[in-house]
Amino acid sequence: MDILKVRDALDVEAAVRAAIASEQPLEIVGHGSKRMVGQPVATNAVLDLSALNAITAYEPSELILTVQAGAPVADVLSLIDSKNQQFSFEPMNTSRLLGTPDIGTIGGMIAAGLAGPRRIQAGGARDHLLGAHAVSGFGDSFKAGGKVVKNVTGYDLCKLLAGSWGTLAVMTEVTLKVMPHAESERTLLLRGLDDIKANKAMTAALGSPFDVSGAAHLPGSALRTTQGPLGEIAAADESVTLLRLEGITVSAKHRATSLATVLSAYGAAEIVEDGASAALWADIRDVVPFAADGPRALWPVWRIVCPPASGGALGQGLAKGSQGEVIYDWGGGLIWAALPPSADAQAAQLRKLVNAAGGHATLVRAPEAVRRGVDVFHPQAPGLAALGERVRNSFDPRNILNRGRMSRGPIA
Amino acid sequence: MTIMMPAADQAVLARRDTIVAALRAIVPGEGVISSAAEMLPYESDGLMAYRQPPMVVVLPDTTEQVSKVLRYCFDNGIKVVPRGSGTSLSGGALPLADAVLLGLGKFKRIREIDFDNRAVVTEPGVTNLALSQAVAHAGFYYAPDPSSQIACSIGGNVAENSGGVHCLKYGMTTNNLLGCEIVLMSGEIIKVGGKAAEPSGYDLMGIITGSEGLLGVITEVTVRILQKPETARALMIGFAEVEEAGKCVADIIGAGIIPGGMEMMDKPAIHAAEAFVHAGYPLDVEALLIIELDGPGVEVDELITRVEAIALGCGSTTCQISTSESERLLFWSGRKAAFPAVGRISPDYLCMDGTIPRAALPLVLRRMKEMSAKYGLGVANVFHAGDGNLHPLILYDANKPGELQRAEDFGADILRLCVEVGGVLTGEHGVGIEKRDLMPEMFSEIDLNQQQRLKCAFDAQGLLNPGKVFPTLHRCAELGRVHVHGGKLAFPELPRF
Repeated sequence: MDILKVRDALDVEAAVRAAIASEQPLEIVGHGSKRMVGQPVATNAVLDLSALNAITAYEPSELILTVQAGAPVADVLSLIDSKNQQFSFEPMNTSRLLGTPDIGTIGGMIAAGLAGPRRIQAGGARDHLLGAHAVSGFGDSFKAGGKVVKNVTGYDLCKLLAGSWGTLAVMTEVTLKVMPHAESERTLLLRGLDDIKANKAMTAALGSPFDVSGAAHLPGSALRTTQGPLGEIAAADESVTLLRLEGITVSAKHRATSLATVLSAYGAAEIVEDGASAALWADIRDVVPFAADGPRALWPVWRIVCPPASGGALGQGLAKGSQGEVIYDWGGGLIWAALPPSADAQAAQLRKLVNAAGGHATLVRAPEAVRRGVDVFHPQAPGLAALGERVRNSFDPRNILNRGRMSRGPIA
Repeated sequence: MTIMMPAADQAVLARRDTIVAALRAIVPGEGVISSAAEMLPYESDGLMAYRQPPMVVVLPDTTEQVSKVLRYCFDNGIKVVPRGSGTSLSGGALPLADAVLLGLGKFKRIREIDFDNRAVVTEPGVTNLALSQAVAHAGFYYAPDPSSQIACSIGGNVAENSGGVHCLKYGMTTNNLLGCEIVLMSGEIIKVGGKAAEPSGYDLMGIITGSEGLLGVITEVTVRILQKPETARALMIGFAEVEEAGKCVADIIGAGIIPGGMEMMDKPAIHAAEAFVHAGYPLDVEALLIIELDGPGVEVDELITRVEAIALGCGSTTCQISTSESERLLFWSGRKAAFPAVGRISPDYLCMDGTIPRAALPLVLRRMKEMSAKYGLGVANVFHAGDGNLHPLILYDANKPGELQRAEDFGADILRLCVEVGGVLTGEHGVGIEKRDLMPEMFSEIDLNQQQRLKCAFDAQGLLNPGKVFPTLHRCAELGRVHVHGGKLAFPELPRF
């Protein structure tokens, strides 16, 4: 297999143009930490962006960071952390779930667009990508967006690039919005709620004026075998519901107390502070209950996004029907489901339930053989799917970039 | 008029009677307007220097009618200009002589309020303010609040990706949407997203938002609603130097504080506003900051103390802190009335809308002063200081020959300057016709071609809102051509593994 390690955007252009000429699709890779997500890509040439790893500009007081796409996420996070800033969409670190080394690039982080618990308050990756330089499937470098936080000049191509899994263009440089870390955080813990009651408690919390920045529910059966901070707060077979409040200390404290009062019908809340709270949310973000080194390592894992208030019923039905396990984030609007292995990762049954709830499901972890046989990304209504395909075609008509990663449809 | 619109298609104009009759068959009764007098209100939008009567106005009231109108126009090669409330400041809804003006004003119903999912499903003609009012009884609101919120429609907000004074903390329209229904030029009805936090597949919602009516006609919108903050208070802080005010803004953000609103006015704007509303603005300062903090009372009180200290450290000369809701509103009254206030001191004004990196503010204001002298026209500045969005108001008199042209040239120079210092042409008003010909200042031909290819995916014939956003139009077939370069591997020196 050819691995083309590019040094700059011109190399990327040359590689894509050569790929067009030789009708050879390219697999686009940063560190390759998420290569096992998506439909298997049929190619024997890899475009490796990891050498495009410079920090171009960081302006903390402008809330702006410009980096090359191959910059390691870990390095960038420690840089912005040194200025007390963060990506407020809380990007997921997939290494625990997928069983890869703790690696990953900024380009991959944006292309996957997997936002963490704070998405309910701060938005997703797409809301924080302000600008990009990318090479399209025409082999041309183009610019999208800008380097300021407020911009409506031309089509907002950045929104499309975020979450496009490298199928539209090869990002070479991105400009991201960064935000200050909260001074303090408090997490309310409620114990023993079933999924339906927990969903109601989270709905009440998110409908309160207390600016909840995390709302998750972990059923006892999913928690029982979980190692680390989440395992430590679990009592025998008891579920835990978590609600996070962030801000200046006096405010986080005040809102935690107020929210506990609002939720008193659901039981007395324990309060976890700062570092201990952050450790819990990091493991929720990274879906540690279904970690690749845990007891459900061999179970396929689905990521389901649905209207939040219907999450409890959907998750409960799913877990019962499949003998699987679920955990909830985003107040019920994000369900991670680990299901006992089967030839189709139980796709047919799961999608029936998810469709009925107005949601969609992505198979994030499954062996390649399983992924070959199912739609990893949620099948869409024909008109929407056709429009999406025309959009993809408008960036990459020869289907050079990550061919077939997001769709099992006929290949041009 | 200095901006040229595409030449009218005489063959289409010759068929006007047939077209009107066909539209009447789709939208009965008063839904089709064809007399010159009745079409008058549709001649322009918020960019009132430009007027053009449409060929015919059609006001459907169902998605099915919208679909049939578009299909008819698609089949017959007729251009369509969509319009919400017509408050665009960039000419996004300016009619074309040979186009159907498709108004969504009859789509006035809120379809569903779903507090549990914190979502409202609404027709596009509902005003921005009406959305907030519809959920206010339960303590909710819809966060983006453009100044025109009393009149502008939510469909127009989606088309323009509207902002407002609270963007820095709560985002623009695009950050507050969950889903929409659009009708493509072909008449096909497409649903994107819903009540889930994110849609499946590519983020088409994201690309439709801010597409200025070029990709599809929005017939339904699902927005995210938020609980109103418990309380809000404002500080009004004066500075003897613009640089100090700029440093104050940077220091506040540097201290990790993201205010609900952070606005700056320069001396001419302060004076015009004070003369108009008597808000008690200090008249001896060069820059005035209005900073609003919202949240629980304990948080707001604490942050006010911190912001006041930061301002003092930056050399503030005056600082007033609101102690009541009426005082907070008084502080805002001058800023909110800045446009009409400037309207009082000048017969006409052009409102510009660039965004710059905040650090460049002193330089940009200095250069603007020089330009003001060069063009012989006054300028007053209001500024969304938190996010660098500048609104210079250029004062001119349309009755004086050549002044509009001079004002437009001045405005173009300001926007070029915004791009030169690392900013963009428009922060919230859109490109429309106003900044169309400046797009090459910010984007290369390759950049613009990629954007137009996307347009081809939605509207291959280019019938929807032509003449807006893009200075040069290309045929989709030409844009879609892939150039195959010879030589299989043009970079033998690349490391391979």
